[in-house]
Amino acid sequence: MFGDDAVGLLAVHKVSEMAQDKADFVETGLHGVALLDLFIGYDKAIIVDAVKTGRFPPGTIVEIDPEELVPVGNPSPHYTGVPELIQLASELNVDFPKEFRIIAMEVDNISEMSGELTDAVSKGMNRLVARVVKYLD
Amino acid sequence: MTQHIVVDPITRLEGHGKIDIILNDDGAVDRAYFQVPELRGFERFAQGRPAEDMPQITPRICGVCPTAHHMAATKALDELYHLDPPPAAKKVREMMYDIFTIEDHALHFYFLAGPDFVVGPKAPKAERNILGVLGKVGKEIGLEVIGVRKRLRDLMTLVMGKTIHPVFGLPGGISKPIAKENQAKFIAAADLAVEFGKFSLKLFHDVVLKNQQYVDFIVSDAYTHKTYYMGMVDDNNKVNFYDGKLRVVDPNGNEFARFSGREYLAHIAEHVEPWSYIKFPYLKAVGWRGFEEGNDSGVFAVAPLARLNAADGMATPLAQEAYEEYFKTLGGKPVHYTLATSWARLVELLYAAERVRELANDPEIVSPDVRILPKEKPTEGVGVVEAPRGTLFHHYRTDDKGIITMANLIVATQNNAARIAMSVDKAAKGLISKGKVDDGILNMIEMAFRAYDPCHGCATHALPGQMPLVVRVYDSNHNLLQEVCREKA
Repeated sequence: MFGDDAVGLLAVHKVSEMAQDKADFVETGLHGVALLDLFIGYDKAIIVDAVKTGRFPPGTIVEIDPEELVPVGNPSPHYTGVPELIQLASELNVDFPKEFRIIAMEVDNISEMSGELTDAVSKGMNRLVARVVKYLD
Repeated sequence: MTQHIVVDPITRLEGHGKIDIILNDDGAVDRAYFQVPELRGFERFAQGRPAEDMPQITPRICGVCPTAHHMAATKALDELYHLDPPPAAKKVREMMYDIFTIEDHALHFYFLAGPDFVVGPKAPKAERNILGVLGKVGKEIGLEVIGVRKRLRDLMTLVMGKTIHPVFGLPGGISKPIAKENQAKFIAAADLAVEFGKFSLKLFHDVVLKNQQYVDFIVSDAYTHKTYYMGMVDDNNKVNFYDGKLRVVDPNGNEFARFSGREYLAHIAEHVEPWSYIKFPYLKAVGWRGFEEGNDSGVFAVAPLARLNAADGMATPLAQEAYEEYFKTLGGKPVHYTLATSWARLVELLYAAERVRELANDPEIVSPDVRILPKEKPTEGVGVVEAPRGTLFHHYRTDDKGIITMANLIVATQNNAARIAMSVDKAAKGLISKGKVDDGILNMIEMAFRAYDPCHGCATHALPGQMPLVVRVYDSNHNLLQEVCREKA
């Protein structure tokens, strides 16, 4: 309902229709540490989400290798991102994916409520879906 | 001499997690502003949609408390269609809602605000997180927290479906009863949750309360505000998260008002400040006197600290003991120390666990009689629940086909917005002098609002690893002197 924020969910939905047997698909609105137990027991994981970095035009596919991300020293409310999750999982020796990928799209509107994607994001959807499917193959 | 600044519309705070600090000519803080993000566009988004969709759509407002929105929306539909659900439906709703409250409170204490206390506010920032907590109390605790939360979340998924599209609450009841063969699972999970609740309080006691430095910190003036408090209570004035009346107490702890959710507009009004997009709720009967404390200012607070102040006790025995110990230790009712919220949260966690145990053991919890169907035309409905972060209101008006013509939402954090702004301002004033602002200040100020755990909060869609909170310091002519933001570890 936050406009472009839905891009990850919509993309995963489409991917699941195209590649049903290749993975388990989970749709969630949770973020941060609450995600931890969703990943337990898997060897590989892909997160598909919206990002708003301001560095790329909306619609750009942004791929992130979590190893390039550095954990933040002292997260503020709700915010423990993927690096913190990975660090936590390794400290706790839980069965966590060894391979992690974040495939995101740079988006435009995520703060004004809307049931629709903005134009650029909508146009980029097929590319996002294709990128995720490529990884699953 | 302070130059009076007119904060014109161009300089309004916007978006997420910005603190603007304006210094006077002596380098002391004239004013600090913290903008709590607001939900822009909800009314426009909801208009024209079927009200019956709201319990599925509104959970998406907040990835952290989707169940609170689902429940508030469902209750608004009950009223919209003039329905009183069967007792079994109310019990199942309350049980599921309290399960959600336990896992959310656990997340907050162990992963978010708790680290400030367990590890200590002066600890290096690299340690002030869940890993630091585990370093202090042992890794098994981390696994236990994750394990308990997973168990509770699995039960929620079993009954309610996915959090992103819950199929559970309906006007007049719930979609399906609890299957008899599942009752034992709830009882077992409840027993585990009660033990976990007891353990968490003991941990707080041993690690935080036995350390005088931490206690001094909790009761320090920089984090104290004497405001009104609001929380939901049952017929005996005990804390209830799912249903009851809203009770307000004044800064001395005396009952000031007691009203049903649908009367909220008669008691709560919203004030708009020129520097903010957000509206600040306040008590109409007292009036808006600015960001001030005391009996003459209508500023009020919600969430665990407020709920324990507004109630006369907890409805379950172990939580009641914990409640009494809490007030005895902190000098009686009401408690004004914002940082005590974490302790209050654990008292609530224990209550929720005991209450789930009561409900899970109730034979009526597996009754098949869980719904009555709408017969009358819809008109208007207000649904109120206590979300983990405070009172949440959903208010809908529809045409006679159930299509929304008006929708209003007051989320928990909005109710706290004025007090959060005051907390940030007070912390900034206490910590900054002669224009010196450093990294340590950032954490101290953050602690002031981390206790409130603002919802739809400062987690934005920045690249993972980037902190969304920025503190900007301006001189009295509104020239930017300094920008302090989180650095990567």
